[in-house]
Amino acid sequence: MLSIKDLHARVEETTILKGLDLDIKPGEVHAIMGPNGAGKSTLGYVLSGREGYEVESGSVSLEGKDLLDMEVEERAQAGLFLAFQYPVEIPGVSNMEFMKESVNAMREARGEDALSSAEFLKKAKEACKQVELPLDFLKRGVNEGFSGGEKKRNEIMQMIMLEPKLAILDESDSGLDVDALQVVAKGVNSQRDGKRSFIVVTHYQRLLDYIEPDYVHILSNGKIVKSGGPELAKEVEKSGYAWLKEGEVA
Amino acid sequence: MSQWLAQVIERAGNVDDWLASARSKALAELKEKEWPGRRTEAWRYTSLHKVADLNLATTSEATTAEAPQVEGLNSIDLVFVDGRLTSDMTNLVLPDGVTIASLDTKNDAAENLFGQVKPQHHLFGLVNDVLAQHGVVIDIAPNANVEQPIRIVNFASDGVESHQRSLVRVGEGAKAVIIEHGAGNGHSLNTAFAEYDIADKAALEHYRLALHEGEAIHVGGSHFRLHNESKLNSTLVGYGSQLTRLDVDIEHAGEHAFAKFNNIYLLAPKEHFDLHSTIEHAQPNGTTEENARGIIGDKAKAVFNGRIHIHRHAQKTLAELNNRNLLLTRGAQINTKPELEIYADDVQCAHGATVAEIDEEALYYMLTRGIDKQQALVMLNFGFVQELLFQMPNRALANWLQPILKQRFERMMEQQ
Repeated sequence: MLSIKDLHARVEETTILKGLDLDIKPGEVHAIMGPNGAGKSTLGYVLSGREGYEVESGSVSLEGKDLLDMEVEERAQAGLFLAFQYPVEIPGVSNMEFMKESVNAMREARGEDALSSAEFLKKAKEACKQVELPLDFLKRGVNEGFSGGEKKRNEIMQMIMLEPKLAILDESDSGLDVDALQVVAKGVNSQRDGKRSFIVVTHYQRLLDYIEPDYVHILSNGKIVKSGGPELAKEVEKSGYAWLKEGEVA
Repeated sequence: MSQWLAQVIERAGNVDDWLASARSKALAELKEKEWPGRRTEAWRYTSLHKVADLNLATTSEATTAEAPQVEGLNSIDLVFVDGRLTSDMTNLVLPDGVTIASLDTKNDAAENLFGQVKPQHHLFGLVNDVLAQHGVVIDIAPNANVEQPIRIVNFASDGVESHQRSLVRVGEGAKAVIIEHGAGNGHSLNTAFAEYDIADKAALEHYRLALHEGEAIHVGGSHFRLHNESKLNSTLVGYGSQLTRLDVDIEHAGEHAFAKFNNIYLLAPKEHFDLHSTIEHAQPNGTTEENARGIIGDKAKAVFNGRIHIHRHAQKTLAELNNRNLLLTRGAQINTKPELEIYADDVQCAHGATVAEIDEEALYYMLTRGIDKQQALVMLNFGFVQELLFQMPNRALANWLQPILKQRFERMMEQQ
């Protein structure tokens, strides 16, 4: 599904990713943990193609296609989804038109017909229900005046609507109470169908109690320093990141 | 002196009706007025040279026109074509507490309103005073809660000069929704002025749609007087046309009055739009929230002048005025001037004007959802004014305007 080889990337003059390797097969859930400043969010931005995040060397392919050669929207159309740590507010654009435009852009890229308004609304209602967002939120501006928890649930609702091949969840647990966390986790788990892959980026093990990963990787100072099964997350929970050798900590 | 204004003064002499005394007073003032030039502050960025020698027909052959239907609005429509009322007033089914009369016949409400709310310094307001023979007088009885919108439609036909007047009284504790809807794209001059008196504890939801296009010249005003604890929620939506100039005055004449005034202007290439608003806080404890947003196309010119005047006595006033503009090309122009004049010492005021730029983070967010860049820019730019459409309490009107404004905007983007 996704293959990252020796990825180096920088923001302005600072190199943040320093030789990252990662291989994800269809249906797998990979958790990426690590201390603040390790490059966790940078990975999501680099993969999505955010301006200002420059790839110095290495390669990334999604289903065999060169991801780094695509524009931001082409990556999304190819099946990459990034759930933002801090979703953006767009007051003058309603959730409804935003999602409709987005869903139909994806469908067009897949060679499918655009959804009619009625079909779209039906799908949107179901997705809203799944993440426990009230329906009238569709009429409001994108993320406008949403609480932190509502914003995170909105990201998951978008993921459900867009049906990506690979979803990166960037700290989708930060700032959530246990109830909201469970709603988010339930939304994610409903999308695990054995084909769709996930990268779950998180600082804490807590989220992984609800979204059980196949693999856990520890990112430190721009590369993966340790990989293992779910038990690795528990280890981190117990002993923190202090065990990381000097020099591996950013 | 312009040839046109000389003609106006001459024609005014022929108007003889029950408003004669008010008209003659206005005529006297009009005769004292100088024709505005570059040095006239109120007309500094809007040249009147296209009006100075205008010579259009002053009578019209047009008789009827269909008001544009707004789905779900279910309004009481009063349709004026070239200044003349064409709706059959005898057939109107009015909700309880609403009286609607023509300006042609003597009317107490009209007598108390005509020229009483509108400041006398507006040149074209005076022209309207002396020439507008037709109009409508709407009287909302105290405590009447009128949900059905009343819409005043003003059509301007090609080749005609016309003048129309609206007078509205919202009684104590009453609620009403009034829409002033102007349209026309032929070479015309239309003035339409409206005066509103909003009594104690009354609430008015108001819309002015100045949808004149092409060669139309439209000069008009909406003027409000707010009494104790009254509320005004007004939205103005304007195109540019050859020349569109609107003056809005809101006077806080009572305490604890609240005024929200949003305006949106969307200028196609080469259009000209000028909005002057003046908020007078004459009494304490008043609140004003004014938000103006404009998108200006190539070689189009917008003028925004927003003045808030807080009198010495008007303590505890809260007033905010914000004007934001998006220029689509280097050839687009905005002259914006928010003015705060504060003579009271215990007030909270803020004002600002900006020329907007695209929010890069919002753009990135949209791109990560697979939306093409061009489309994302259209949505973001339009979202800039759409935000104010979302705030319109009347959803039917907002839903009708949304695709119309969006199509206009998409054409503006194509014409870049």
